[in-house]
Amino acid sequence: MVSPLVLLGTPLGMAFLLGMLQNRWRFASYGITLLTMTCMSLFSADWVLGFASGSLVATDFSTAGAPPPFAISLRMSLTEASLILLVNLAGLFSTLYLKEELLRIGRRGMAVLLIDIMALCGIILTRDIFNLFVFFELVVISTGGLVLLSDDQRAPSAGFKYLIVSQLISVLLLIGIIFAYHSTGTLNIDGMAAASLGLLKGGALAFFLILIAVISELKPFPANGWALDIYESAHPAFSAIFSAAASSAALFAVAKLLPMGGESWLPVVSSIGLVSFLAANLFALCQENDRRLLGYSSIAQTGLVLVVIGQQDILGERYLFIAGGILLAHAVAKAGLYWLSGLLSNRHLTAWTVLRQSPLLLFAFISFIALLVGLPPFPGFYAKWELVHLLAQEGRLAILGLVLLGALVEAGYLFRWFGKVVKRSDGGEEAAVFSVAPIKTLVVFAAVAGGWSLGYLWGQLSLFDNILHTIPVLFALGFLLLERFPVWLKNSLAIVGLVSYYLISYPAYDPMQLIFGTVILIGGGVILLASYSVSGRRMGFYPSAMLMFAGLSLLIEAKDSFHFFVAWELLTIGSYFLILRGKQSEPHALSYLVFSLGGAFLILAGFALAAEGVELFPLSSLSQVTADKAPWVFILLAVGFMTKTASVGLHIWLPGAHAEAETDVSPMVSGILLKAGLYGLVVLLLGMGKQQLYGVELTHVMLWIGALSALLGNLMAVFQEDAKRLLAYSSIGQMGYALFGLALMNHLGWLMALMFVINHYIYKSMLFLSVGGVAKRTGTRLMYQMGGLITLMPLSFIAVLIGIIAVSGVPPLSGFGGRWIFYNAILTAEYRLPIILIFLAGPIAFLYLFRLIHTLFLGQLKDEHRQIKEAPFWLIVPQMIFVACLMAFALVPGVALRRFDLYLNQFFPQGGLNWEGVSITSQFGYWSPVSIMVVVMVIFASLLGWLIFVNRKAQKVKQFNMVFAAERPYRPETTHFAWNFFAPYKKALGFLIQPLATRFWGMVMDLLHTSADLTRRFYTGNGQTYAIHLLAFVVVVYLFSMGSL
Amino acid sequence: MVLIVMSTGFLLILMGLYGSLTNRNILRMIVSFTVTNTGVNLVLISVGYMPGRTAPILDETVAVSEVAQRIIDPVPQALVLTAIVIGVGVTALMLAYAYRLYETKGTLDISQFTELKW
Amino acid sequence: MNFEWIQIPYSLLTLFIVINYGLLLNAFIAKIAARIGRRHGIHLFQNHIDLIKNYSLRTSITHGVMFYLGPVFRLGGGVGLLLFVPTLYGSEMFSNLSFSGDLILALYFVFFGALGMALGAGESGHPHAAIGVSRGLSQMTTAELPFALAVFSVSLQYQTLSITEIVSLQQGGFLNWTLFTNPLAVAAAMLSFLGSMMRPPFDVVLAPQEIPIGPPTEYHSSYLAMMQTNRTIFPIAKIVIYMNLFFGGAASWPVFFLKVFLIYMVSVFVGVVFPRFRVEQSIRWFLIYAVPLGILSILWV
Repeated sequence: MVSPLVLLGTPLGMAFLLGMLQNRWRFASYGITLLTMTCMSLFSADWVLGFASGSLVATDFSTAGAPPPFAISLRMSLTEASLILLVNLAGLFSTLYLKEELLRIGRRGMAVLLIDIMALCGIILTRDIFNLFVFFELVVISTGGLVLLSDDQRAPSAGFKYLIVSQLISVLLLIGIIFAYHSTGTLNIDGMAAASLGLLKGGALAFFLILIAVISELKPFPANGWALDIYESAHPAFSAIFSAAASSAALFAVAKLLPMGGESWLPVVSSIGLVSFLAANLFALCQENDRRLLGYSSIAQTGLVLVVIGQQDILGERYLFIAGGILLAHAVAKAGLYWLSGLLSNRHLTAWTVLRQSPLLLFAFISFIALLVGLPPFPGFYAKWELVHLLAQEGRLAILGLVLLGALVEAGYLFRWFGKVVKRSDGGEEAAVFSVAPIKTLVVFAAVAGGWSLGYLWGQLSLFDNILHTIPVLFALGFLLLERFPVWLKNSLAIVGLVSYYLISYPAYDPMQLIFGTVILIGGGVILLASYSVSGRRMGFYPSAMLMFAGLSLLIEAKDSFHFFVAWELLTIGSYFLILRGKQSEPHALSYLVFSLGGAFLILAGFALAAEGVELFPLSSLSQVTADKAPWVFILLAVGFMTKTASVGLHIWLPGAHAEAETDVSPMVSGILLKAGLYGLVVLLLGMGKQQLYGVELTHVMLWIGALSALLGNLMAVFQEDAKRLLAYSSIGQMGYALFGLALMNHLGWLMALMFVINHYIYKSMLFLSVGGVAKRTGTRLMYQMGGLITLMPLSFIAVLIGIIAVSGVPPLSGFGGRWIFYNAILTAEYRLPIILIFLAGPIAFLYLFRLIHTLFLGQLKDEHRQIKEAPFWLIVPQMIFVACLMAFALVPGVALRRFDLYLNQFFPQGGLNWEGVSITSQFGYWSPVSIMVVVMVIFASLLGWLIFVNRKAQKVKQFNMVFAAERPYRPETTHFAWNFFAPYKKALGFLIQPLATRFWGMVMDLLHTSADLTRRFYTGNGQTYAIHLLAFVVVVYLFSMGSL
Repeated sequence: MVLIVMSTGFLLILMGLYGSLTNRNILRMIVSFTVTNTGVNLVLISVGYMPGRTAPILDETVAVSEVAQRIIDPVPQALVLTAIVIGVGVTALMLAYAYRLYETKGTLDISQFTELKW
Repeated sequence: MNFEWIQIPYSLLTLFIVINYGLLLNAFIAKIAARIGRRHGIHLFQNHIDLIKNYSLRTSITHGVMFYLGPVFRLGGGVGLLLFVPTLYGSEMFSNLSFSGDLILALYFVFFGALGMALGAGESGHPHAAIGVSRGLSQMTTAELPFALAVFSVSLQYQTLSITEIVSLQQGGFLNWTLFTNPLAVAAAMLSFLGSMMRPPFDVVLAPQEIPIGPPTEYHSSYLAMMQTNRTIFPIAKIVIYMNLFFGGAASWPVFFLKVFLIYMVSVFVGVVFPRFRVEQSIRWFLIYAVPLGILSILWV
């Protein structure tokens, strides 16, 4: 092991050596710098390994041969070692990245860089408070120098603003130090802590000054205008150090100082962190400049770590795991993003579209964003999970809520940016130049590798399983390596994977899981058949799709809340990427993601509240949540799941997301993905049953929500002109039915809901495929532009015909079974009023279904469509499979439902069905699927035979040969009655579908953006204003903390 | 005596801060900051001063055995020395910046350097 | 309630009786309307003659497969609806094919013919056909709602979905009829009945007098004949459900004829008195007057 003194001395010595070299020995100087950085990194890595393996213990090193307080001491433990490794690696890679600039400027620049890194290490290592001051001042001076590395003309002004502020900070720090010394007689941090500085006379003020000075180095809101200017204008490699290394060091300094003041200061720190986290994320919403946005994000993340530091009293031994997870993820991601930004010439967010030219860099970009947002399998995810649980356990719910809110806003703007990068056109002549510098690219990938390894490491360190060890996730990630292969190969592999996973795991499923598992895995395989119709490589499709399926299959296998939530996040991310692939889907994918993550955070909060400190909370324990918390847990989880089923009010993401997705993606996200929400509700209701809040029965509220969703979803579908949107709205209605069934909380209600799971999967997938095929051939999704396609696309027509008969519930197809069970279920329902809405919703389905089939396939064929062919073979194949399934399910529903009906007996012993014989009987009525089918077929066949007999010689006539007041119609376009098909209906009931939810959410977004845009203007850009901000910040925090202490 | 020094120190700090926040000219701001720094140093000294004791220099006038009672604490003075050095460094850097800023815009008015904002 | 082959001829007999009764009934009603207008009116067997004539016409064209199948769907719907419901209470012979399902089957099978018809008409490419369908569907959504509520109310009242059992629970004097035990439900259902009979004020769907509009626009010869057959059967099939649910059913053919006639006359009377509604007017009318009755009946049971 190398002594910490050497660690500090080496770069210092090398910096002096550089000063003595000749100016023209540029490469030699650069070599020395690089070598020093490498050695430092290796030394610190050695320390980390030593501590990690357990062979070392935390040690203090005295510098002048005497213990403190007579000399400065340095401490080395796992935390310090990891942080200096982080600092040194940031330095090393930035040195590599800065090669050209450093060679241009020469040895002085390199010396300053070395000093900067050395000073940051010093901040981390030293235990002496004055020494800390010295290192901070060294950082100030070297930062002042390094800011000038930038080509940006505005950088010097940013640097000067920084110097002004740092003067103020050093005044505060020095006065604080001297009074602290006066009170305690020592400069050693541990000595001051032992003397409990915060409790001495005048000591509290001294400590406050020290603390606020160090916190100001963390760029807290609102005293951070200078930092944003530096982030915006400095060289990205320096910004990487500034964000990743300098913030980490200062954060560690805060953590180190806090014991001096005592626990009563923790809330102050938390509050500052929380305010910064929220404000910075809010302001970032309005940013168009990439580096400034990253700056805001850095401040936010630092604030979050500050919150964690402030909460250390309840985090116990998981403190380092949590703080480290967030801090390291942030550092790696932010450094990576800044390095990435250096590859681009244009500073606008949309300029990053050029990344699309390199899939690897795009992968790097999304990895960094996932790291920042804290998605699985990255460290932030594990850290947030534990943080939220501990906060909930201690009842710090306000902090919990605000942290999740800030995280949601952050995810919102980061993924909005990602969406722009993936989808926007790259701006023509003003397109950003994209420099291909191998070293720089390599540095970026080093960060990617670091991020993923951290994810793996945190998985290993977590109290739970490592996400990267689960087979479905690995299978999905494996497709990243197969990207260069053609679609047919990957598709076959994906189908084989889904089906074999099903075959392996289905023996262990109970009937409930079996139904969902079949729909997900086998159903997914059938839909994937349609993907054979795509040629080429289809980059990005398979990893996303498989990630979604991995999440779905893990979801139904999850036994405890952690695995459930991991699966939930995985399927959300996977489906987001899938949806984002659609041509026009950028805003819709974003709103899907924001709603889903919002829902996921509610679920997280719900689980955390329910767990009450249990590490691995089994889902079956939901029934044992204490009575005072149970209704709240219920609400959080239920609302979370209902965002996924797109219940009314939370539905606005669905139509766009489902309609704009690709042809074979729409059935996946509609037919399969929506069921995840239902599965969640099933788990919730099985676990918690009925809950009451202030006397309101919560399942009763769910009944109303379900009924309203059914009604409004159907009603909105009626007025769509876009065929896929129509189907999407219809899904809202269908999910409303299923939700209603579950909320009935009786045997048949649940049976109906499960029947909807199967039915909706089959017919909605089929309809989306047929309509997608038609849209592919006609080049439009607007129904009034189609018409008369029945003869050209007969198979698609048959699929749609069977589909709409099934959806509408007309006998003899399987939809009727659902209706029949529904009627039996409501006869025993406790609440009758919501049923009225369902009754109204039922016939409305006919309106949109008829419109769908009529305007596409019947009516007048358009001239430009006369040559089109049937949909591609591989789109038709799954449709025909679905037709067969619908027929089979209509004839023998017992095959799928009987076992489930028995299984339900253990939860709802009353009211099961009797499946003996041909008829299915309930306590109220009976129904015989086979008889109905046979009777209908016989009647139909006889009548058809009769018609053919009397009407053998019917002649086929041409399109316009019809009774038209003895005139010929003018053109197909004017004769096809399709546009605004239900105008009178809109006149009568249109008032019901005022876009209230859309308006409400739009207003929330406007409010956020407007307030962000207005408030951020107080960053005037004037250095003196920033200094006043700092002073005001100090005064306000002082008053606040004196009030609270 | 101590009180006078300390009050002077704080007065200087406040004057310096006032000057740096009200003067738009960058050079005047830098001067104000040096005034502040002087004030801070005075405060440091005054806090460390113990009435009736001698300078912390070990020579024949102070017996080693009585050191702890006879001399004042040397640490604050050492701190002041360091602080002065650092102050000089920062002031130099600020002056260099002032030069650089003047080069880019031909003005030393701090309110002219607000392209970076929001 | 199991299937036996003898039920097929029995069902055909029911069908035969109902068709003839329906044709006569329609002619009779037309004659009454004519006499009110001081005209002589049609021959009592005019509908029989028309039907035979139309079935015998040999000039016919088709617009495609769905167009051809439309009338088949339509008539299949009418016949199926009739046969899925027991016609006479207590008669093994005229309980038809009701072993296939209960009241819910009948409720949903109503849509079978309408849907097929609409599809067939759609393929003709005539915009008036589509306009008619659009109007019909729009009006149906709220016209059917009071009936659905009434059915729910009645099944709650009798705790069964089996039509036979509902009728049996109404036996023993007319005061046991649902009409008197659950008047709100019956009132709601009868208002809904007006909407489904294709008579004024709710007949804008077909608008038979002024312009050729609605699904039958393009249909002629044997297609039209099939649809005429359905127009005879379908209202009666529907009335049978009403009769069974609300008016104590019928145990013999004479009672059946009488009750069907009287229930039918309700819509006729209303039709001759009131002028026609536009679609949005009738939707509002049902929502304002009929649906609250249905809701009350649910809450009241």
